[in-house]
Amino acid sequence: MHISEIILSPLLALIVGVFFLGLSRKIMARIHWRYGPPITQPVIDIIRMFSQKSVSHGNLFNFGIIFSIAGSIAVVLFIPFGRIHPLSNSGGLLVILYIMLLAPLGIALSSGEAANPNSSIGISRKLLLTLGYEFSLLLILLALMTHYRTISITEIVALQQKGSWSLFRLPLVLPGIAYILILPAILGVRPFEISKAPQEISSGPMVEYGGTYLALAKIEHAFAIVIGISLFVNLFLGGANNLAFFFLKVLLVFILGIFINAVFPRLRTEQAIKYLFGIPAFLAFLGLVITVLI
Amino acid sequence: MDRNKLIKWIKTPAKMGNKYSLHAVYFCTGCGIIEIPPTITTRWDAERFGVTPAATPRQANLFLITGYVSLKTLKSIIRTYEQMPEPKYTVGFGSCPINGGMYWDSYNTIKHLDKYIPVDGWIAGCMPRPEAIFIAVTHLWKMIDNDMADGYKKYRNNYDQYRANQEKVLGSLDWPPLFK
Amino acid sequence: MSLALILIVAFSGAIITYLAGKVSSKLRKTIAVVFSLALIPMIALLFGKNIETPLFEFLGLRLILRINNLAWIFAIAISILSSLSVIFSLIYMKGKEKVDFYYFMMLFINAAMIGIVFSGDLVSFFIFWEMMSWATFLLISYKRGPALAAGIKYIIMSIFGSMAMLIGILFILNTQGTLIISQLAGNINLSLYNTIFIMILFSVAFGVKNAILPFHAWLPPAHSEAPSPFSAILSGILIKMGTYGFILLLYVIVGVQKLLSLPGFTIVINILATVTIIFPTFVALIQEDAKKLLAWSTVAQAGYIILGIAFGTSLSVTGGIFHFINHATFKALLFLAIGAVEYRTNGVRDLNSLGGLIKQMPITFVAALIGACGLIGVPLTNGFVSKWFIYKSLILNKSPFLAFFALFGTWGTILYSFKLIHNIFLGQTPEKFKSIGRAPFSMQLPMIILSLAVIIFGIFPGLPLKAINSIVVSFGLESLNINLWGLASSTGALNTINIFTAISAGILLVWLLSKLGSKAKSVNQDDTYAAGTSVPQDRYHYTVEFYKPLYRVIRPYLKDIVDIFYTLLADWIKKISSKLRKIYNGYVGNYVMYIILFLAILIFVQLKWSLW
Ligand code: SF4
Repeated sequence: MHISEIILSPLLALIVGVFFLGLSRKIMARIHWRYGPPITQPVIDIIRMFSQKSVSHGNLFNFGIIFSIAGSIAVVLFIPFGRIHPLSNSGGLLVILYIMLLAPLGIALSSGEAANPNSSIGISRKLLLTLGYEFSLLLILLALMTHYRTISITEIVALQQKGSWSLFRLPLVLPGIAYILILPAILGVRPFEISKAPQEISSGPMVEYGGTYLALAKIEHAFAIVIGISLFVNLFLGGANNLAFFFLKVLLVFILGIFINAVFPRLRTEQAIKYLFGIPAFLAFLGLVITVLI
Repeated sequence: MDRNKLIKWIKTPAKMGNKYSLHAVYFCTGCGIIEIPPTITTRWDAERFGVTPAATPRQANLFLITGYVSLKTLKSIIRTYEQMPEPKYTVGFGSCPINGGMYWDSYNTIKHLDKYIPVDGWIAGCMPRPEAIFIAVTHLWKMIDNDMADGYKKYRNNYDQYRANQEKVLGSLDWPPLFK
Repeated sequence: MSLALILIVAFSGAIITYLAGKVSSKLRKTIAVVFSLALIPMIALLFGKNIETPLFEFLGLRLILRINNLAWIFAIAISILSSLSVIFSLIYMKGKEKVDFYYFMMLFINAAMIGIVFSGDLVSFFIFWEMMSWATFLLISYKRGPALAAGIKYIIMSIFGSMAMLIGILFILNTQGTLIISQLAGNINLSLYNTIFIMILFSVAFGVKNAILPFHAWLPPAHSEAPSPFSAILSGILIKMGTYGFILLLYVIVGVQKLLSLPGFTIVINILATVTIIFPTFVALIQEDAKKLLAWSTVAQAGYIILGIAFGTSLSVTGGIFHFINHATFKALLFLAIGAVEYRTNGVRDLNSLGGLIKQMPITFVAALIGACGLIGVPLTNGFVSKWFIYKSLILNKSPFLAFFALFGTWGTILYSFKLIHNIFLGQTPEKFKSIGRAPFSMQLPMIILSLAVIIFGIFPGLPLKAINSIVVSFGLESLNINLWGLASSTGALNTINIFTAISAGILLVWLLSKLGSKAKSVNQDDTYAAGTSVPQDRYHYTVEFYKPLYRVIRPYLKDIVDIFYTLLADWIKKISSKLRKIYNGYVGNYVMYIILFLAILIFVQLKWSLW
């Protein structure tokens, strides 16, 4: 644990996350056969939003969004980026699993105070989606933890570096596939974009955010992307020994996510839940059973 | 990015941000909305100018009023405009909002939108082509640069007058005044 | 401080309060508060002591009071929680009927519970147990009407449990010749079948009180009918007497080594615990009454506690006992918060007709939020630490499926806790609640204290964990490497201070960042986006069927089969009774005829076969 690492790792996550936001818009545009915005567009957007005079619905409205980003920053500190892992020895995967709650919880509380039914609908969908993918995710993480006999994420990464990636280890193949299947839901990209659904419920929880709040929500989204993918990379793609290699892996997974985002329409909530409780849950369950038996 | 632009970014980031990130509320009132889909999708791709649709007025800074404005929609327009965060820019699209257009003698459309909310620019035509929107956007950039797109300030300074005009056609409004 | 004195103070407090109520209500309030507060330091002074004092002989059995670390933790939790809810009751009960009786019963139950944890032999345990059960019955059905039905449901199941316990106690007396717990401990020798027999009998008794799944049916109606401050005690402490009984049975009387070697024990307990976690969690999700929701959640949380305690590693037992303390704090907190809302809105508990009370009752909201966070187990609250202990022990001891159910239950918990918070405090305020005031101070104070407890135990879990560790060691399990901020361990440590620093630094940083932006204008709830129209004034709050897509999937499976079974049983008994009624029809002549007939048969039998 180094003080410079504590500063560096959230900063890196932020930069990479915002870059990803821009990249995703560019790639999406190219898939649509468009020229697309400049890659710095999210930065411009965030600057613009910070300059705008927003409205606030109360103290919880202000605090919730701050709390949410603080939660994201805390998660980032617990996730190893290459060799940088400032706090990952203070609680391991279980803690990560729980601190990952803080970000959506903060947004949910904050937008709840806005008294807008669209945001309530958005939150309710978001929580349902979480319940859906968490079913498989928990099974997957438990398979990992039983296989490696540790709850520390750095240990898991280290063990993968010695041997092969988890994705290619025999009992962990199935959970790995299940993880890939639920990854779009974790990232909240298109087939599972149900909680935002701009055309349907006016961007759900963010409906009342303007100005500073919207900028913070964008930043939170950037963090969420990095967190969601880095967790996968660390757990299944073997993490990495240095930063560049690590973020290269993250980038590849992210581009895969964008492709999925580009070609799928949005599912309805029931369909999404049905899908999540279907094949991915089954694969994850099978994986855990095999892991326990071996 | 050339040097001038960079200096501008450092000097007035807010202004530049607003210039290159115009998130628009498309207020689909009349026929004009039919021109919006080609504008924002593959054919003309408004996103390369930073113009994208916003989900709610809270997230937007550009208000496009695309067509005739009936009394009922005027109410919504005013409310939406008031909910947008400042700075915000309005562009009237088509001849109907300018002077009534082909609805000049209709009993329930308004003829001059800028009596009720400030309008920073007009795009004339019935209906204007998507290219015209881009011309309008680049024109709006120039206006923002020169601090000429100050409709929202006008609205704040002359709020009483605007409110009086609104109440004249709509009767009593069921929300409290924005500025007191 | 002798133990008998504490009990005398506790019981006399109840009586004096009752008598004082006849004089004036002010005197009653003062005395109730003074007596319940007085118990806290008296019990606190006993910390770390290990005393056993014989009381007197009763039917040839010695009644014994004793205290050790386990009893101390329960006793202090009882005394603190009940004094808090007595303070909360001061205003809550104002103007209600039979207030004398209410306070009497509150203090009486408090005393009886202290008696249970202090008793050093099974006879006094049983006596205090029965006192508590009956007093609880009277207090649950205090409001009459549906409350009476709830109370009767409770007392019937409770009597059933007590009978089982009585048989068990007599059995132990017969086979072991003593009922003193310290003599039983360790050197109980029973054959395998007898152990199982006793386990079943006592499990029925404690399971009913603890509302483990097949015996849970009394709890939801009882909770929702009882007055809120009493619900807090009921959920926080009273049902945990069942947990205390389990700990006593499993670790003190039978002993953990013997226990884990019992065939099938782990499987049965694990199945019971997981079902108790999962099923009530999802039932809670569809509840529309705030207190019923919390009641079902209590059942589910009891599952976590039992899972932790029965799993039998020192990590999990520590987690289980810690979760008991935590559950007492945050669940009591939630019940008190709901009570405050109920008080201000004139008894509205329906989750679909409240809304937006955060502006009206900010402190109650914060309290409820902290309580809900504790319930979920959000990091930096105490619920997180105890659940972390349980999960870790489950994962490392090769029970990933148990861990899965426990974790998945937590995600269900998130859903219903958020529903609770959202539907009451967030969203749009209905017109009729716009002018209600904040909760009065005597209601806020207990909530503030409990919220602080939730947070402090979450950031410095070492404080209670050290005490719990000594209990766990006294059970013969290995000691854990506890420090102030959690646990040091090679297989994944816990450091809450680091989490706390990370999050608070993050908050500070982002707060500064948000200051960069221009200042926001505050608007009221009517000024929200509604596609250009103004928001309808009253019911524009998304509450009914909050998780509709999920409800559609799960509702068919959420029939409370057990409750239906009990209801059928009750109907059946009623039917048989009404048949019997045809024979016992109240005519003296008939009865005389029965007697003569009976005698005639006897005489006939005697003459024919001369049996006598
Ligand atoms: S200007 Fe022409 S196209 Fe536009 S709304 Fe009016 S009539 Fe329709």
